[in-house]
Amino acid sequence: MSENQAGDLPERGNDGDLLQKPVDRRHALGMLVAGAVAGAQALGACVPLNGETPEQREVRVLAWREYIKGNYRFMTEAERAETITRLEELARLKRHEDVTIQSTGAQPGVVFGYAFNISKCQGFRNCIEACINENNLDRRADTQYIRIFEMSEGEVNFDLGDATFQHEVPAEGHFYLGTQCFQCANPPCTSVCPVGATWQEPDGIVVIDYDWCIGCRYCMAACPYWARRFNWSAPDVPASEINPNQHYLGNRARKNGVVEKCTFCIHRTRQGQLPSCVEACPTGARVFGNLLDPDSEIRWVLENKQVFRLKEDLKTEPRFWYFTD
Amino acid sequence: MRHLGPFARTALRSATTGGGHYHLWMGALTVLMLTGAYCYSLQLRHGLGVTGMSDHVSWGLYISNFTFLVGLAAAAMMLVLPAYILEQVDFGRAVLLAEGVAVAALVMCLAFVVVDIGNPLGGWHLMPGLGYLNWPRSLLAWDVLVLNGYLALNLAIPFYLLYNRFAGHPPAKSKYLPWMYISVMWAVSIHLVTAFLLAGLPARPFWNSALLGPRFLASAFTAGPAFMILLLWFVKRNTPYPISEGALSKLALITTVAAQINLVMLLSELFYEFYWPTHHGIHAVYLYFGLDGHHALVPFIWTAVSLNVLATAALMTHSVRRNYRWLMPTCAVLFFAIWVEKGLGLVIPGFIPSPLGEIVEYTPTLVELGVTIGIWAMGLFVLTVLVRVALPIELGEARSPYLEAPPAERAVRPRATRARHEDVRPFRTR
Amino acid sequence: MRRSRSGMMFAGLAAMSLAAGCGEGHQETNGYLPPGVEVVVELDSATVARDAALEPGALATVVADTVVGFTGPGERPFEVARRSAGSEAGHSRRFGTITLQLVLRDQSPALTQYPCTSCHAGARVTMAAQREPDVHNDIQPVHPDTSGGVCATCHAPEDASLLVLLEDRRAPLDQSYRLCAQCHFRQADAWAGGGHGKRLDGWQGRRVVMACTDCHDPHHPAVEPRIPFRAPVIERIRSDDP
Repeated sequence: MSENQAGDLPERGNDGDLLQKPVDRRHALGMLVAGAVAGAQALGACVPLNGETPEQREVRVLAWREYIKGNYRFMTEAERAETITRLEELARLKRHEDVTIQSTGAQPGVVFGYAFNISKCQGFRNCIEACINENNLDRRADTQYIRIFEMSEGEVNFDLGDATFQHEVPAEGHFYLGTQCFQCANPPCTSVCPVGATWQEPDGIVVIDYDWCIGCRYCMAACPYWARRFNWSAPDVPASEINPNQHYLGNRARKNGVVEKCTFCIHRTRQGQLPSCVEACPTGARVFGNLLDPDSEIRWVLENKQVFRLKEDLKTEPRFWYFTD
Repeated sequence: MRHLGPFARTALRSATTGGGHYHLWMGALTVLMLTGAYCYSLQLRHGLGVTGMSDHVSWGLYISNFTFLVGLAAAAMMLVLPAYILEQVDFGRAVLLAEGVAVAALVMCLAFVVVDIGNPLGGWHLMPGLGYLNWPRSLLAWDVLVLNGYLALNLAIPFYLLYNRFAGHPPAKSKYLPWMYISVMWAVSIHLVTAFLLAGLPARPFWNSALLGPRFLASAFTAGPAFMILLLWFVKRNTPYPISEGALSKLALITTVAAQINLVMLLSELFYEFYWPTHHGIHAVYLYFGLDGHHALVPFIWTAVSLNVLATAALMTHSVRRNYRWLMPTCAVLFFAIWVEKGLGLVIPGFIPSPLGEIVEYTPTLVELGVTIGIWAMGLFVLTVLVRVALPIELGEARSPYLEAPPAERAVRPRATRARHEDVRPFRTR
Repeated sequence: MRRSRSGMMFAGLAAMSLAAGCGEGHQETNGYLPPGVEVVVELDSATVARDAALEPGALATVVADTVVGFTGPGERPFEVARRSAGSEAGHSRRFGTITLQLVLRDQSPALTQYPCTSCHAGARVTMAAQREPDVHNDIQPVHPDTSGGVCATCHAPEDASLLVLLEDRRAPLDQSYRLCAQCHFRQADAWAGGGHGKRLDGWQGRRVVMACTDCHDPHHPAVEPRIPFRAPVIERIRSDDP
């Protein structure tokens, strides 16, 4: 399926490509059963349609192989590389986007932690702006992973908090508290998933395989922090605003009908960088680091500041602490 | 299995022949189903965005109906239990109908789950071996297993009974009775698992209650028998299928007791939520009184609770319960009240306000209503077909052409249904 | 790049912008840094390798000096980003397709073009207790006013590019943290530990932080209120409603 075939007419011989490929039993079963489920799609992959350009055919074959692939969590490195190649190719063919998708794994000896200074946050929402752009969030539905709540001084009370403020900030007598996915050490969302499409990585990041998610939204009901978002329609990000630096488990293109969430910018943090919200924060209210490194910033905060977490009684053990100056 | 061909042909004939009313009924259901299918096609094309659900209220009418219908399916047990296990003769004839109701309800349940998921083409990910079923960790995986298992049981047992009746040999007790026992326990499990699916979420204090499972059972055993009374009464009036007065009155009694227990549990919940209102009681406040000017569910829940109390009081009055003219509307009212209370009144307020205190209300869209109505029509369609196929066989009117002797002399029925053929009349044609 | 600092005069309160030439490569000797001494930051090989792997525009481009007088957790030295010509790139970040400036406080363009020395060259000024009219009108002396300070509390009369520390020691302008920390020691501890201020780019390896005056205008340290980025839409935006 290389580009030099682009001028060729659709050939029957190319079908063998799919059939001659060695397939294990699971894949063979996958083809059979899933084929029955997706009748039309299956038909499309086996019989070249008249008038189909080679490019359309390539998209169709790639999409079919994507459809029958397994859960990323259980893939071998080779399978991961294959799916990433396919996804990059599909992005190029279908959306004319030149993206790079990483599959960078967790660094050994690293568990990420996050601290949020409620004395410092002034409610500017630069974090949200950076997050939207960095993570290719759906512009049409205005998906946002981060919520900044304006609260009256004196108590952390979400019933009285307001995330929709649109006035000059900071407002007198108020403080600001941000929420996002807390990457709980004991995440309720992963255990409820019926297909194991969401799990916790060794570095503590709770991730989703968007291609394995069936969209039942049980995880959304299970999250006590309202951290998960659903694609109620196909997400829309203008091609000119796509961040091409992507991760399979992070900010790559999502599809209609699946759940997504904050991944502490997995494509950045696994490269040693800070999450975009931390970098964008103009007040330094956000602290990020490796919990296992005693010399990290996050450890300094935990050891020197009074910290609290949200809903500690639920035993979710968020790796996201709040502190004050 | 040489009778299989004729069995299928007879079943098809039974399901496709009938009077004008029958065809009108089936035609109307078909129209509704097609409308639902069209609405679902819109949903498939545009995404679940065509429904009223949102990131805040991420389950709506579909899952509400699902939780209610699981209860209806479980309620078949109410008849199986005394008929086959406690050897109560009365219910024998009603059992097949109850199992038909269970099948129809399960078909609806599964349909509601399918329309609710965002990526139905990924359904194969659930299949153990092929995909990955997160069992035993995920309660939803449990639910997938128990619902499909219960469906299989409720298809297999009646098929075995009907097929043997059709083929003219007596069903072997040793072959179906163990499955009956399993089925009874399974019925409790499907409803408890569905309750646990919600109750196991500490994120949602409105559901995270030990009483939710028992409440589900109590409401199921109210709405289920109430529906059965309506169905049996209809069958009794319109077909020669003999339903004894005793069966109906016993069912009415079961419904009454279950409705009372259900009300006690409702009262316990209300006491718990409102006597000392904690932060966790805010969902109940929203449901019953509204919150910050949002009160979409308030009229529904008060209507449901009022009707529930009224219907229970009516059932507790002997003269009302014993009079069909009053019993039937009472059962219909009760059924509706439980549907509202347990469907809309249970699932949706669990999401409002959100865990972060934001209040976003939920109103189903026309597309969503269309799909819902379509699925209900499909369930009724399935039920009608099942009843339509089962009755002639049970009545001995439809028999395998390979049989020479009349069934009354050959068939040895289980005690529950033995010696009842003297009352055989042809279908009343309307 | 090295300029003579002798004889520079400075009247009134100078903005803390680190204009070109105002502070590169200092080494502390008894509180005073002789001109012409550059500090070379020693980086371990792992850090160098990591920086090399970073995307363009990330930490590798930040010009930074080793922090004097403070160490981070575990006695680890860290660096402070230098606000000098050519290093602005390190102070903004690209998120997706947008570029956000990481600073709250605008760098005053006037000071880049007219550094202190263009006026205060050659003669020692006598700093008045009160700011003279028409001079440095852009400065709002909120902090000096509330804390009872005058220009000379912080600015060295003999050299506009030096700050006055306790015991009559001196520090260059881009070591503002040494001055601030004399009173705001709790904030300075948090800054060194990682609980205050901004880390640029990395959570591992080389740590580059921003200096006090990169975010706080020393004369008016409070963060300026402003209109935030757009609010979330709580009610879901419906699309493609048939």
